[in-house]
Amino acid sequence: MATETGWEEPVLRATDITMRFGGLIALDDVSLEVPAGRIVGLIGPNGAGKTTMFNVLTGLQEPTRGRVDYLGDNISRWPPHRRGRAGIARTFQRLALFSRLSVHDNLVASWESSHPGAVLGRNRAKRIERVAEVMGLLDLWPVADRMAGELSTGKGRMVELGRALCTDPRVLLLDEPGSGLDANETAAFSAVLRAVVSDGGDRHPDVAPPAILMVEHDMALVMDVCSSLTVLDFGRVIARGTPSQVRADANVRAAYLGDASAV
Amino acid sequence: MSQYWPFIIIGLFTGSIYGLAAMGVVLTYKTVGVFNFAYGAIAMFCAFTYWQLHDSWGLTAWVAMPILFLVVAPLLGVALEALYRPLAGLSAEVLIVVSVGVLAALGAVVPIIYGKQDRTLQPIFPTSTFALGSHFHVGYDQLGTLVISLAVAALLWALLRHTRFGTSTRAAVDNPDLADMVGVHGDNVRRSAWILSVMFAALVGILISPTQGLDVNQLVLVVIYAFAPAVFGRLVSLPLAYIGALVLGVVVSLLSKYANSGTVANLEAAVPYLALFALLIIMGGRLKEAGASSRRLSVSTRSGGGSGGAGAVRARHWVVGVLGWRLRLDRSLALGLVGFALALFIPLAVPGPRLIDITFAVVYGLVALTLVVLTGWAGQISLAQFAFVGVGAFTAGHLSGSHGQHFLLAVLVAMLVAAPLGILVGLPSLRLSGLYLALATLAFALIMDNVVFNRGDVSGGLTGITVPRPKIFGLSFTGRASLYELALVVFGVVAVAAYAIRLGPIGRRLQIVRDSPLAASTLGVNLTVTKLVVFAVCGMVAALGGTFYGALQQAVTPFDFMWSTSLTLLLLVVLGGRSLISGALIAGAVYGVEQLPIPASVNQYFPLAIALGVIALAQEPEGTVALARREARRVMTVLRPLPRRSVGGGHQIPMTSGPDVAVAAGSSPMGSGHGH
Repeated sequence: MATETGWEEPVLRATDITMRFGGLIALDDVSLEVPAGRIVGLIGPNGAGKTTMFNVLTGLQEPTRGRVDYLGDNISRWPPHRRGRAGIARTFQRLALFSRLSVHDNLVASWESSHPGAVLGRNRAKRIERVAEVMGLLDLWPVADRMAGELSTGKGRMVELGRALCTDPRVLLLDEPGSGLDANETAAFSAVLRAVVSDGGDRHPDVAPPAILMVEHDMALVMDVCSSLTVLDFGRVIARGTPSQVRADANVRAAYLGDASAV
Repeated sequence: MSQYWPFIIIGLFTGSIYGLAAMGVVLTYKTVGVFNFAYGAIAMFCAFTYWQLHDSWGLTAWVAMPILFLVVAPLLGVALEALYRPLAGLSAEVLIVVSVGVLAALGAVVPIIYGKQDRTLQPIFPTSTFALGSHFHVGYDQLGTLVISLAVAALLWALLRHTRFGTSTRAAVDNPDLADMVGVHGDNVRRSAWILSVMFAALVGILISPTQGLDVNQLVLVVIYAFAPAVFGRLVSLPLAYIGALVLGVVVSLLSKYANSGTVANLEAAVPYLALFALLIIMGGRLKEAGASSRRLSVSTRSGGGSGGAGAVRARHWVVGVLGWRLRLDRSLALGLVGFALALFIPLAVPGPRLIDITFAVVYGLVALTLVVLTGWAGQISLAQFAFVGVGAFTAGHLSGSHGQHFLLAVLVAMLVAAPLGILVGLPSLRLSGLYLALATLAFALIMDNVVFNRGDVSGGLTGITVPRPKIFGLSFTGRASLYELALVVFGVVAVAAYAIRLGPIGRRLQIVRDSPLAASTLGVNLTVTKLVVFAVCGMVAALGGTFYGALQQAVTPFDFMWSTSLTLLLLVVLGGRSLISGALIAGAVYGVEQLPIPASVNQYFPLAIALGVIALAQEPEGTVALARREARRVMTVLRPLPRRSVGGGHQIPMTSGPDVAVAAGSSPMGSGHGH
């Protein structure tokens, strides 16, 4: 089913999303699709509307117009927690760790948040198993008892990813997961991402591996792991396609050169 | 129409004074980011000072006024600026606590300096009237107040709008660092703002005291009227705040015309609080907090010791996971259990009347515990917790008293009544946090105080209602010792439950909703349900405390649950340690000590000491417990034998090996590190 990449319905589809803040148009008729088992990149210069798009997809911000479909349901009016429970997980560009909980408890709390009845102690054995699995996958055991608030950015991003994975997501939205990572961490990270979408390691057979939508500035990482890209600039889609198509696109070059010259 | 004019005039007169107060509150909020809960207390302090100078020492107004406005007010302003300067950028919670601490400190200082008896302040304008038109008369004092208020308000507005001080202020608020670089001295701007704000408070104090009476509590309450207009101006707009205050003054005055007619009796007194509550709910998400706090409370980073390899850590977490919660029979739980066991024998050692005080302390501790959970753990500030105690006390009192119902039934009903009220107070928390939530709960406490507890059919009027001691299944708890044991057991059960919850999934849920509500919601936490359940449960337990409060006192009156009792509770909980169960117990103990028959000459310093302690410990979630721990550690360090000097300049604790090092040490590529 969802593991087959040839599946016609995408896991997550946004249609004609428009977002205005007063006179500012943050998103202008943006559509995108995330097919199962794929890593899709959402790129663009700073202020292009990428994080706003994530907020719309996760329900943190209500768009002025447009709809979001997830596994065949129109979820446009679902509150954030309902989307989270249904399998849409995300990380944050500015880390949003539970800083006063240990790394292990960050993951535990995440599992408990996303599984019905867990807060009352249900399915504890499953929780232990899944949390241990993710801790291992992301190599978090060495820092298991550290307070999340005292981690480096790189480790913090791993904890956020782990927290997202503990919800058993069907689609994973990663907001600049590569920023703050050094070269070694980045290499390890792309290996982890591939593992997550290909077979997910020792995943439960009943949970399909998630699709990934990621916002990222590290072009090497994006070109390495993404199978398709959508490029935003000033809230509009200016290009789409495979990494090589996008790299050759004149609009993209213009947008990025403009961005680069400003830096 | 003409019959309304006198009320409109009076409304404009009082409204113009509230307008000054609202502007003073807005001024410090928009320039310094501090919402001054103590504003009324500052006005009160200034009014008393003026009384001392003018009415008591007989100085003429021409001498007393300059002393008040050019010496006393600036000094107080400078002192306040110095107090708040180190707190810049801290969470709303800390600022609220400090500001309530200042309120309590001034309320405690004034009786010490000026004595306790009420007095009247001579009006600064003549009270004679002149006729306006043919139907009504206007007092010169009313006209004078209105004129002065309008003039001063216009002056402040012009000052902020058209002078260098104004632009500096805006610069210093928008970006303190940048402002510093272009030569705006933030400290000077903030100090000027504080001084101006205190001057406004002084003006409010001497204008309003002649009509409202000069009393420690009255003025504090009256200035809270100004909070609604201040919120109406979103805490940033001076003109809107002022206009809002005038409208509020007129509305209240017009309503007072009908004050004596039955159903709306006393309603006009509650209108400003109802307006505050309604405004906060309506304006909801559009209200923004100033100086979005970048700094956080000192995070208690007591991580588990890094002993053992990853395998051992993993094994331990598995054990912990299976057991359900960290059954840490650690020092705090052990101490608690030993303490509880010892406390059971207190009646053998303590004489009866004192035993009642101790029982009060236990019940107070139970109520304090609800605030620990709500504020210390869930991060929701409540300035209304004692309202639930009142609800519990009156509900259970009526049921077990005049209706002769079973005590347990009375307790149950009391808690069931409190639950929806808890949800009602929790409603603003869905859209508001920090300061605005605190204001909404304060409004709720004032509404309960003025509208509900004041009703004769609820509270039995000024004399209150009598409450019998409990009887449960033939066991009678009429004796002091038995009632004490019952209260202690109830406290113990609730405390152990709270302890267990804290370490389990629910405790984690509260923590994540506090640490990052957005992240929690995207993971699947329903913030609405979580917050409302916490408010409801804490309200129910507070009501449980209320049923004991009544049974213990054998009578309850509206005065037992005045709005200010909730503020006192917050102060004591902060003092004890708002993130700790033992903090609640300390709060109860301090309350108990206050009840002891200590000579008034000593006892009057008690509230002051508490207030100053709270101000000092506001940033410390573990309050006096943290203080004690720190001191104990220091004593231990001093007592420890000196280590022999090592060659390499002393050994550093190898704690700084950072996460990256840990990764490097244990990293095979991460993707392959899983599998059992």
